[in-house]
Amino acid sequence: MKFHLSHLQAMLLFALMISIAFGFLSRRRPLERVKYIAWSLLLFLLFGIGIGWAMYPFSH
Amino acid sequence: MTDETQIVAASPPDTKGEVRAIAFGIAGWLVPGLGHALQKMWGRAITFFAVVGVLVFVGAGMRGNLFNSDGGDAFAALGYVADLGTGSLYLLARFIEVGGPDVSHAYGDYGTRFLAAAGVLNLLAALHAYEAARGRKA
Repeated sequence: MKFHLSHLQAMLLFALMISIAFGFLSRRRPLERVKYIAWSLLLFLLFGIGIGWAMYPFSH
Repeated sequence: MTDETQIVAASPPDTKGEVRAIAFGIAGWLVPGLGHALQKMWGRAITFFAVVGVLVFVGAGMRGNLFNSDGGDAFAALGYVADLGTGSLYLLARFIEVGGPDVSHAYGDYGTRFLAAAGVLNLLAALHAYEAARGRKA
């Protein structure tokens, strides 16, 4: 069994899984969990893509 | 799911309660989510089982490095501890990864991170189950 995920796919999956786990760990009410998960996921992606672009000049 | 609104007690648990809490913590480590399931926190139990399971399954499928006890340096030892955090799923990862790790590609390296993250996350969940059983977390 092999998975060949791209950088973006791996980041998306990782961010989603960690956000869900943190949401369920730290919040009790469903609405609070959803908000936390959405916010955490957004920040994961923003930082991931931001750091990726910040490194771009060094690779060229 | 309804029972997740329990807890927040101030008094420390007795010895029996402490043993029970430790047992829940160990159960949660061995099988992701079991520590919460035994306390009828079904939402958290299913979520932790699914999240840790997906991370291990995909991480091993990406041929991430699954560390063993004879790593040789501090980083390998830390990686081993993190991987062991997945409990019984460590054996599942070994079973899935029959071809061994392949970190010569980027996805193999990602797989290593997935496996380590799954372990650390499961340890966190097990600690949460322990604390919840002691009445210190909701």
